[in-house]
Amino acid sequence: MTGLKNYAMSFDEFQNQARLYVIGALEPEELEEFELARKDLGQQAEDFIAKCYSMHEAFALSLRPAKSSDALKERLMSMVRNRQKS
Amino acid sequence: MALDFSSTGLPEETAETRNARLPAAAPILEPGAPTDLELMNGIQAEDPDALSQLYDRYNGIIKALILRVIHNEAEADDLLQEIFMEIWNQAKNFSAQKGKPLGWMVTLARRRAIDGLRKKQAYARAGERLQTETEQQPEAWVHNATEEEITFGDTRHLVRQVIDTLPVAQQEAINLAFFRGMSQREIAAKTNTPLGTVKTRLELGLKKIYDGLKELRDEL
Repeated sequence: MTGLKNYAMSFDEFQNQARLYVIGALEPEELEEFELARKDLGQQAEDFIAKCYSMHEAFALSLRPAKSSDALKERLMSMVRNRQKS
Repeated sequence: MALDFSSTGLPEETAETRNARLPAAAPILEPGAPTDLELMNGIQAEDPDALSQLYDRYNGIIKALILRVIHNEAEADDLLQEIFMEIWNQAKNFSAQKGKPLGWMVTLARRRAIDGLRKKQAYARAGERLQTETEQQPEAWVHNATEEEITFGDTRHLVRQVIDTLPVAQQEAINLAFFRGMSQREIAAKTNTPLGTVKTRLELGLKKIYDGLKELRDEL
């Protein structure tokens, strides 16, 4: 707990931290503080974090799709069917 | 062409629950095509055809994400296969209450790709390649247009419009954090920038993207 700020994080500040959190960019000391605030803020915090994860989807959709071979899909489906049989 | 955000949304969800999440953007589906959630439900019921359809819909996006992280075609293919196997095996852990199927898949794929990158210990070299590729030919690994690419074309354009409004330094910081899994300190060291500046760039950039995507949703 050493070094943690001695005040409650505002929701605005939490929102900033949450956006960093979902992309894994919080430093360890920030993460500790963030988790405390997350607990304090409860469901409001969880709802906001869930919204932030939608940024992952956006980042992926910003990329132009890359092509894969048909053989790769055949291998995958073969593995799946074998898994089902076993 | 307007995007229909509801096309991959949850069929039974209400406007209120839909708005509780931030729909980044969604592909346009053929009329009558199953939604992503319906396909996830199929996978949870161990229907291989559901996985096959989900693969056809998203393998290009997921592979592009992997390539953006690891920059190696053969390794990207291996990882793509592993990730879809993991989607098959872990589908029971997916909950529609926590987000959309694509978001879940991207989070899973990103984690696996970054883990793969770190295991390779080619971190620095890949970084140099990324920088060179980004400067010289930003999408050098892109192939000719595919059906999937056309489906996602408008979506990508709209999302890119949001991202492109950011100053280059903010884009770079977000790129390194999201696609390379770098911490703020690592970004600061790599870009020779004070830590506080990196933090500010990330905070401002992510807020703009978040707000921009929200506006995009509201407009469509």
